Amino acid sequence: MEDLDVGLMRGTLDLLILKAVSWGPRHGYAIAEWIEQVSGELLLVGEGTLYPALHRLERQGLVEAEWGVSENNRQAKFYRLSADGRRRLRTGTSSWYDFVEAAGRALKATGPAPA
Amino acid sequence: MSTPRRSSDLPSGSSRRSFRLDSGPGRAERDLDEEIDFHIAMRAKRLVDSGLDPVAARAQALRRFGDVSTVRAECLTIDHERERAMQRANHLGDIRQDAGYAVRTLLHSKGFTAIVLLILALGIGANTAMFTLVDALLLRTLPVPGAEQLITIGDPTRTGSLSEGSPRTDLASYPLYADVRVRNQSLRGIYASGRTGRLDVIIDRDSSGGARSSVEAEHPRGRFVSGSYFSVLQLQPSLGRTFAADEDRVPGDDPVVVISHDYWRRRFAGDRSVIGRTILANGTPLTIVGVGPAGFTGDIVGQSIELWIPLMMQPAVIPHTAWLDDRGINWLLMMGRLKPGVTIEQARSDISAVMKRSLIDNATGNQIGSIERRLGEGAIRVESGARGFSYYRSAYSSSLLTLMAAVGLVLLIACANIANLLLARASARGREMSVRMALGAGRSRLVRQLFTESVILAATGGALGLLVAYWGSRALLSLAGGSSAIPLDARIDGRVLAFSALLSLLTALLFGLVPALRATRVELATALRTQGRGVAGVHGRPGRVALGKLLVVAQVALSMLLLVGTGMLVRSVQRLQNADLGLASDRLVIAGVDAQRAGYSGPRLATLIRDLGARMERIPGVRAVSYSENGLFSGTESRTTLQVEGYTARADSDTLVAYDDVGPGYFHVIGARLLQGRDFEARDNETGPKVAVVNQTAASFFFPDGDALGRRITTDSTAWEIVGVVADVEEQGVREGPERRVYFPMMQMERQPGEFYLELRAEGDPARLVVPVRRALQAADPALMIRSVDPLTELIGDSISRDRMVAQVVTFFGTLALVLAALGLYGVMAYATIRRTSEFGLRMALGAQPGDVTRLMLHEALLLTIAGVVIGLPIALATTRLLEGQLFEVGVLDVPSIVAAVTVLAISAAAAGLLPAMRASRVPPLEALRAE
Repeated sequence: MEDLDVGLMRGTLDLLILKAVSWGPRHGYAIAEWIEQVSGELLLVGEGTLYPALHRLERQGLVEAEWGVSENNRQAKFYRLSADGRRRLRTGTSSWYDFVEAAGRALKATGPAPA
Repeated sequence: MSTPRRSSDLPSGSSRRSFRLDSGPGRAERDLDEEIDFHIAMRAKRLVDSGLDPVAARAQALRRFGDVSTVRAECLTIDHERERAMQRANHLGDIRQDAGYAVRTLLHSKGFTAIVLLILALGIGANTAMFTLVDALLLRTLPVPGAEQLITIGDPTRTGSLSEGSPRTDLASYPLYADVRVRNQSLRGIYASGRTGRLDVIIDRDSSGGARSSVEAEHPRGRFVSGSYFSVLQLQPSLGRTFAADEDRVPGDDPVVVISHDYWRRRFAGDRSVIGRTILANGTPLTIVGVGPAGFTGDIVGQSIELWIPLMMQPAVIPHTAWLDDRGINWLLMMGRLKPGVTIEQARSDISAVMKRSLIDNATGNQIGSIERRLGEGAIRVESGARGFSYYRSAYSSSLLTLMAAVGLVLLIACANIANLLLARASARGREMSVRMALGAGRSRLVRQLFTESVILAATGGALGLLVAYWGSRALLSLAGGSSAIPLDARIDGRVLAFSALLSLLTALLFGLVPALRATRVELATALRTQGRGVAGVHGRPGRVALGKLLVVAQVALSMLLLVGTGMLVRSVQRLQNADLGLASDRLVIAGVDAQRAGYSGPRLATLIRDLGARMERIPGVRAVSYSENGLFSGTESRTTLQVEGYTARADSDTLVAYDDVGPGYFHVIGARLLQGRDFEARDNETGPKVAVVNQTAASFFFPDGDALGRRITTDSTAWEIVGVVADVEEQGVREGPERRVYFPMMQMERQPGEFYLELRAEGDPARLVVPVRRALQAADPALMIRSVDPLTELIGDSISRDRMVAQVVTFFGTLALVLAALGLYGVMAYATIRRTSEFGLRMALGAQPGDVTRLMLHEALLLTIAGVVIGLPIALATTRLLEGQLFEVGVLDVPSIVAAVTVLAISAAAAGLLPAMRASRVPPLEALRAE
């Protein structure tokens, strides 16, 4: 994190958000909390960055938003995974694994590729 | 707004909107602020739970969130995009839904849709057809770059004229053009163009000329143009070249020709090897050097040119003439391109000064009087040339505008009619509307949906109307032209399409909006309670009927206007057809001959004229023959000034007369009545004493005491003794009116005309003589050019074909208007009958006779008609005044036309009202009462 920014890329954040709402509607704060819990420090750069990503996903129709009442009885905007979003989560997850695997292989390489 | 709210401590569970509207200004902002507030509040609460004091917790929550304003701006951009996309989708979806629904509804009632489409196709089609012609004739500019810089010099309607005599300014002689070209200060360039007359062109593949005699001559339309023609118009050839600057210098030196793109495609199948080929024009070889630009057919509207020949070739192409040297031969129209910054007014005063000086400097003693009079008569004409020259423009614009007004009226009536039909439909659909409104459809949404139906109807009608317009504009052109269609370029182009689309939309607005508004103004409870019946009907909502009646009254009023106009135009044509011309018009054949081109002149020409007369007389079925220079209804006319013995002119124009030089027995042959003295005879020849005959108008003008015989008149220092007075004859047009006219014996003129006419009096049907006359002329000398052989009735018919066309077309539309108005009345009456069925039943149950009910309904129909007539009549009287210029012997306040219009309307109204009235009277009382 200090020298080289290999932090959350936008695609990865999107995937995490989709994953966060895949078990049912959640509001933004709950999504932020879940991502923090499961990924440690990943979001510490600024919880606010979550929101543009959420709104973008909403515009793309991958999540749907509606207002509801939160656990402490306040109005809150809840996000829910749409059918399109569920498909995207599936394909996105597998291509993310493909990417990480390929990148991992490359980083573990011991010498220049044979000519 | 949001910042202070965030910094304050938000009470949890504060009262917020409990449900949210889908849209609204600032909604995205409010939602976003709330969302962010919620996040920060939740985070702060969590921190408080873990032991922080509230103030520190809030500060840390804000820190963890990051830069609020950046996040906010980014989210809002995304949200707004999303909102816009949603609105677009909604809108499109609505339109698609409305359109689909409208099409289904319209297909459901096929009869209604078919009738409305028919009315619209006719109405919009007729208007589009008229616009096509108005556009082609009056509006469109020449397809040349910078057309607005062009100016015409002279009378732009005289496109085919040549006037011999003293110098003029409405047409120019070649020397006059040359002076203007050199001396003007206001033009960047100028060209002149003039008639070629009919060209005999031989196009032969075989350049050796071996088979030339077997090739038939063609007659493409040509025009002599100066070498600057294409450069002033700034046109580039599509093939080859246009004229070079030095092809404007030496007469006969440059035998070249440029052909039009259209002619090239048609006659030469677009063959590129056409450049360099030689054609024979009146026997003179011309080499094709270029093909004009595509889409350009010359500078004359309604007269497309196929060959452009350099002015300098005129003496070669039309032999035995000298149109380039003679200041007395006026035949050229000029077109100039203004220098930058010069206005038309500046150009006019510049060019007028140049022309005046040129004319006066070159006047010979005899001419000075007439030239000065001509210059005094009015300014020399210098006008915008953007729309080119045109004879048809001045001749037809008032007719066209009359027709445009007529078809406009018909469309208005059609709109009223369709509005009425839609109203009837709306009341039938009242239940559907109320159900949909009860289910939550907004009124604006329903209006939009009903209006979509109207737009779809109008658009479809407009598209069908284009077919009507295509066919109609061509039909009009051939109707107006008499024996040959007017060659106007009436194509359906972008402008016409735009007009038609706009008109369709306007039409939809006119007929669709009020019914749509009316249909959706329902009282829900009442409407739903009324089982299956119309909403507006029984239960105290007379609005629909009142509106319907109003529309019918408007229709009747507009029809009244159209019918009165129709009556006046029809009566005018009848007067024209039956006008007394002072001629035996149904017994005459007129043959035009050009002997000049075959080389006749001097004594040979005189002999030929006499010989032709004798030959014609030998044709079986010919009773008598004479000849004249100008013929009858030929379009040529001569005028001169004369001095009259014993008469002192008060003004120069008093000495001006029309004249013709004619053969022996002329008045007997054409059937003119001699009032005093004698006809011309064979002895009035070269050697006899010089004599003249004057017409009645001239006799009573110059000799009010009735002593014309024996008096002397002098023209160009020749004196003539008056030997006869003849009743006025309309020589060139039915509308001419009396004019002072003098006749001279042709053989006593200084020169006989190279182009002249033979008049033949037939024993029976003159049409049967046409072929024998042609044959006899050919037999006399095959080289003679026969310009025309026509029965006079046909020439007269052609001369009033425009009036006839206008009357016919207006009659057609007047009838259509009448039918539409009658249909509208019928519809309203029929609807009223159904509405009042119970009332009639009650009346009859109480003892009314069926006749009473019929009378009641007829009375109502008649009242509507009378209201329409009373409103329409003053409008008709005010507007038919505009027809004045087109009427012949029919006054502006034409009582017979008004009476006829009222009668026709009353009969139509009675017919339209009778059917529903009779149905009303036949309702069995019991059933009628049960219907309630």
